[in-house]
Amino acid sequence: MAMWALEQLWIPRRASVFSDTPVALVVGLGSAWFAAASLANAGWLPSAVVEVVALTATHGALLAVALAWGAADAGVRLPQGSAAITVVLIAAGATAGALHEWGGLALMATPLWLAGLAFRGRLRGLGLGRGNSVRPIVVGGIIGALLGGHLLFSASQTLGYPLRAESWLIVLTRWTYDLGANVISAELFFRGALFNRLQRRWSFGAAAALATALSLIRYVSDPLLPGVVEVVVGALFYITVLGGINCWLLWWSGSLAPGLLSSALFFLAYRLLAVG
Amino acid sequence: MRELTAVAATLVGATLLTTYAEPETALLLRHLYLVPVIVAALRFGLIGGGMTAATAVLLDAPRVFATIERDGLTQPAAEHLITFVLLIGAGALVGRLAAAAHSQRQRFETLLAVQRALTEEAPLEVALQRVRACLAARLGVGAIGLIVRQDDRVAVAGGGPLVAGSLAAEVLETGRPQFVPDVGGGARPRRAFVAPLLAAGEPIGALAVEREGELTAAERGAIATLAAHCGLALENARLASRQRRFTEELAERIASATATKSAFVAVASHELRTPLTALLGFSELLAKRTFETAEVQRMSDVMNRETERLVRIVDDFLDLSRIERGFELRLSRSRVDVAAAVASAVEVLRRAGSHELVVECEDALPAVDADADALDRILKNLVSNAMKYSPPGTAVRVAARARDGAGVEFSVHDAGRGIPPEALPHVFEPYYRAPGVGSARGAGLGLAVVKSLIDAHGGVIDLESEPGRGTRVTFVIPASLP
Repeated sequence: MAMWALEQLWIPRRASVFSDTPVALVVGLGSAWFAAASLANAGWLPSAVVEVVALTATHGALLAVALAWGAADAGVRLPQGSAAITVVLIAAGATAGALHEWGGLALMATPLWLAGLAFRGRLRGLGLGRGNSVRPIVVGGIIGALLGGHLLFSASQTLGYPLRAESWLIVLTRWTYDLGANVISAELFFRGALFNRLQRRWSFGAAAALATALSLIRYVSDPLLPGVVEVVVGALFYITVLGGINCWLLWWSGSLAPGLLSSALFFLAYRLLAVG
Repeated sequence: MRELTAVAATLVGATLLTTYAEPETALLLRHLYLVPVIVAALRFGLIGGGMTAATAVLLDAPRVFATIERDGLTQPAAEHLITFVLLIGAGALVGRLAAAAHSQRQRFETLLAVQRALTEEAPLEVALQRVRACLAARLGVGAIGLIVRQDDRVAVAGGGPLVAGSLAAEVLETGRPQFVPDVGGGARPRRAFVAPLLAAGEPIGALAVEREGELTAAERGAIATLAAHCGLALENARLASRQRRFTEELAERIASATATKSAFVAVASHELRTPLTALLGFSELLAKRTFETAEVQRMSDVMNRETERLVRIVDDFLDLSRIERGFELRLSRSRVDVAAAVASAVEVLRRAGSHELVVECEDALPAVDADADALDRILKNLVSNAMKYSPPGTAVRVAARARDGAGVEFSVHDAGRGIPPEALPHVFEPYYRAPGVGSARGAGLGLAVVKSLIDAHGGVIDLESEPGRGTRVTFVIPASLP
């Protein structure tokens, strides 16, 4: 096996963790959210519009940054306007979801568009591409199912939260939101982009701790999370465990797919509970 | 796998027991979780202990959360939560200690294997390959390379040639370990760590390891310590090898010196015996018989010549003995007239009448700062050597000329058989006699003594020879200060 340390010129890394961030887009999305919130406060906009803008700004910014960092790290060129297309797709899905109970399914356009990019090898900097080995995906599935099962058991049996077995439409639409925006933005940004960058600079432990702590802040400050104490404590507990495990899955397999699957299964279990 | 199954079974057993036991009994039984946690920590280290503790907490948490939900944070519930902290703490602590002990044992075993690999004498490249194989089998890293700098050359094992400006070259230069968290280009980060191989505090090489995945600070510390030990082991092996070579060389030299001394004793005995035989023979004749005055005169001349020869040989022995014991030759220096010294030395030897002795001294030569007796011995030794190794009737030329600012250059040139080229580097060594000298007499001391005398004067000597054409010996003696 060739040895880099002997055979290659060593140039100490100087790029910052935040290099290649699409600052203009992030600032633009933040400004839009602020403007919408201000207009809603003044009574000139309905609150539903603010929710759509907030959802678009949060997930759009996370995905735009993840795409830019991933492309820069892997040295690949994304199709022109990829970040903008992603934001538009999320905005469209969120708008459709606000207009009709089935409209939320439109959010699935975002993962489909990203899957297309991954299939063409444009997201390999985020750990997504063709030729994933089956074993890590199975492990990711088992972990997601176990953690989700634990959540269902502890919440339904010990804390008394009922299952939404009858209202499957609500489960499906909310899980669609997770698949189309929540899970992919969290995994692509906090694991695929941020943790991936940090673990190439620091140790696994430090990188996983910071990435998980930041994802925890994002979830705990999410207005969609019910403000009940046990739900917040549960979110802290499960998001910490899930975040740590997903960091390990990416570190172990080099692929983001197992983490995406474990998160998707865990959030399915969460949506089965009548929380919020 | 068996241990993993046992740990999982104990976890499930503890969960079932605590779930179906009476609440008071369950409070006690929760401590059963410590068993799998400690077993896993001892067997699988920090990660094993931590993960088993986390699993135990996950399995037991629904019970305590339900209690807190129902009754609030009561004392038993708080104790239960403290148990969780203890479980995680015990798993982490025992796992860490077990991992440290395991790592320490592994390091000693690796070091022992490295030392075993270096016990056999082998070229540096082969020794490095052996050490690398030992380390690769034990360190569990993806790639491993060893570089050792020895006598202005760099030997590498486990990689291509060392590139200037590479991480390993930097470590070799500075002697400080370097860590690169990711060398780039892979789906997973590829860590690279290079530690110096140290001998007497100086970097003599570097140990480079690369791994896809984690290379913790503790592992890097262990590798750096191992590298320092490897450096010492390599240096010890190098010194042992040098010692062996030195001993072998010494034995060879002793054998050669013994052989030379034996040869010298034989030659010296012969050299001493010849004049002694003449002295003994003539003295017996003079004691037993009566001779005419002319005959007595001739015999006493012969006896005188042989006695002079004996004195010369004994003087050479004494001088050489002094030189070999590390004493400087004692010189009594004064201004010596060169032309007179040459004429005096040549005149004595001319009496033999066997060769034509030609003296070519420049006019107005400067006086030299020399011991007159020593200069006489030098000249006589060189001229008699020239006469000894050239056919009778041929010319031996003795010349002297001034050298600008350096003194006087003397030369003795004969038209004799010459010296073989392979013998030239040794002609000034004591007891050395060039091959093919035939029946010519001599103990191999003359040129050695001449060189020592010239060195003692601060002069230089040079010898040029062409087989079949003759030999020219040139030496310079510094001029006397005006």
